[in-house]
Amino acid sequence: MPLQRVLIANRGEIALRIVRACRDEGIASVAVHSDADARAPFVRAADLAVRIGPAAPAESYLRIETLIEAAHASGADAVHPGYGFLAERAAFARAVEEAGLVWIGPPSSAIEAMGDKTSARRLMAAAGVPIVPGAVAAMTDPEEARAMAEQLGYPVLVKAAAGGGGKGMRVVHAPGDLAEALRAAAREAQKAFGDDAVYLEKFIEAPRHVEIQILADARRTVHLGERECSIQRRHQKLVEEAPSIAVDAALRERMGAAAVAAAAAVGYRGAGTCEFLLAADGAFYFLEMNTRIQVEHPVTELVHGVDLVREQLRIAGGETMQVPDGVRHPNGWAIECRITSEDPANGLLPSTGTITWMSVPSGPHVRWDAGIEVGSEVTLHYDSMLAKLIVSGETRTAAIEAMRRALDELVIVGVATNLPFHRALMRDPDFIRGEIDIQFLERRPDLLEAATDEDSLLRLAVTAALLEDERRGSRRISSLPGQAAASVSRWREVARTDGHR
Amino acid sequence: MKYFVTVAGREVEVIVDGDQVTVDGRQVAAHLVHFPGTPLVQLSLEGRRYPLAVAGRDDDGWRLVDHGAVREVNAVDERTRHIRSLVGQVSGVAGGGVVKAPMPGMVVKLLVEVGQRVAAGDGLLLLEAMKMENELKAPGDGVVESISTTVGQAVEKGEVLVRLAALPSD
Repeated sequence: MPLQRVLIANRGEIALRIVRACRDEGIASVAVHSDADARAPFVRAADLAVRIGPAAPAESYLRIETLIEAAHASGADAVHPGYGFLAERAAFARAVEEAGLVWIGPPSSAIEAMGDKTSARRLMAAAGVPIVPGAVAAMTDPEEARAMAEQLGYPVLVKAAAGGGGKGMRVVHAPGDLAEALRAAAREAQKAFGDDAVYLEKFIEAPRHVEIQILADARRTVHLGERECSIQRRHQKLVEEAPSIAVDAALRERMGAAAVAAAAAVGYRGAGTCEFLLAADGAFYFLEMNTRIQVEHPVTELVHGVDLVREQLRIAGGETMQVPDGVRHPNGWAIECRITSEDPANGLLPSTGTITWMSVPSGPHVRWDAGIEVGSEVTLHYDSMLAKLIVSGETRTAAIEAMRRALDELVIVGVATNLPFHRALMRDPDFIRGEIDIQFLERRPDLLEAATDEDSLLRLAVTAALLEDERRGSRRISSLPGQAAASVSRWREVARTDGHR
Repeated sequence: MKYFVTVAGREVEVIVDGDQVTVDGRQVAAHLVHFPGTPLVQLSLEGRRYPLAVAGRDDDGWRLVDHGAVREVNAVDERTRHIRSLVGQVSGVAGGGVVKAPMPGMVVKLLVEVGQRVAAGDGLLLLEAMKMENELKAPGDGVVESISTTVGQAVEKGEVLVRLAALPSD
């Protein structure tokens, strides 16, 4: 039965994205929010809103019981989990199902099967999907881990069994660092996922991160080609594109078939993503399956002409997806830049503050998916991603040019962002040639640093001197070219005189 | 009026006299336009136009957004500069230093003890913010003089966490 009213168990840009898809489908939307988000754009946009607790996620967005109560109270018949928070928590999917509500996502059994990375690896190996060599069970004993690492050969990767998004992940280059990496990864995993199980695998050097979008309804499972997400910092994706410069039609079909097989092995339904490492020799290895909509889904939407969130809603409502049969080829190129509140002048540590101004890019080939607006407060409670800037073009070169233009138009005042990085990357010759892999940013820390060239020095010095001169009132402010704003300086005169009394 | 402008540790002398602007003795054509209702400004400099935004102003100077980057730019007149130079901050002992919290967060682990020798780049403690652990590193070689925080403590940006003393010369 088609859905009537969807509760969105998330916040920020993805909550707004889901509100929009609901509206397009003629479905009512219910936002839930913490106290910190009471005035957020996604809450205003939704048809209904329910407060679920204080700012801390553990007391609001992560409370399963409260969310189910909110769904009942608001008359929702379905729950969309977005990404992050509880999106890949099988217990939440089960609680939703048991409450007689529709879960907009795969069956809880599929989340469970893919959620435990070690059992997923075993399943995938059995289904004939290539996997990275490594342990298929969680490692608790450091001695056992040491033996396994020796067998695999260093470097090895320590990963959270319940993980994702780079949390609880450590590369270990030498035996001496293994014990501490296991401890740190377990600690982060416990904090992020409530589960401290970690496992080991062989670390493939300089691969690309290429992932396949899957869509499955009751009748069939299809893939919608690849996204390349090699531009990452500490395993956090920063820039994604579709298609990948490293994937031709033949490889796309091989990787697509592997992803479809992976989805079929767990009885998948809805939208999902199989992440692969693509080695320089063309070999690819299954990393994990993300059993939810992903942050970077828009690049696939732009090159395949689909609306993945609307498809999620249709499939959950028992309808058939609107993706045609047969081989699908990407049309043009799309790139996404994740705009985060990470301050390049402060070692990319998170910056906080109130957004006092935004100039948002527009014009041809530009899409802006944001969770913030003027007046939004950026706090440390939530993820540092503020918005996604997505562009398309006929070719990769055209898309990069469109992104440069869009980034030039984007101004955010009130919080420091990683905008300088994106601007530098879109002008970087190696990136432009597509010579990227997941270690690209480790080799190029310069792109992440705040650079000061002679031109910017001159610009900034002159601007500050002119501003200081205006402030002191020794110079008139002109608000428009060639038009002296006499009244402004008159008021300034008065203010100064008053100040001297 | 003559201003001494400091950007990224570099000092530039800018003289503003009406529409005449002189930078380090070189006369340039410069003009600033404001856009009412916005923090946006447009700098015309030697015939080229640059978009900037004024994020704010405090005792440290102007906070400008230029090409996506937030920059602290300090502009003072000659007298203020002279006074500041008299007050002058004595820079830390070579090798020593103070490690402050670069952001608000929670201390999750201390990696050193008082009295411990550290080399530049050694991890001092783990600070968690936004669900990620960040290692704060020693700015130079030294000896841990004091640790003014404990595991589990929430700290504010700028709070002093660890003091390093210079290595004893042997």
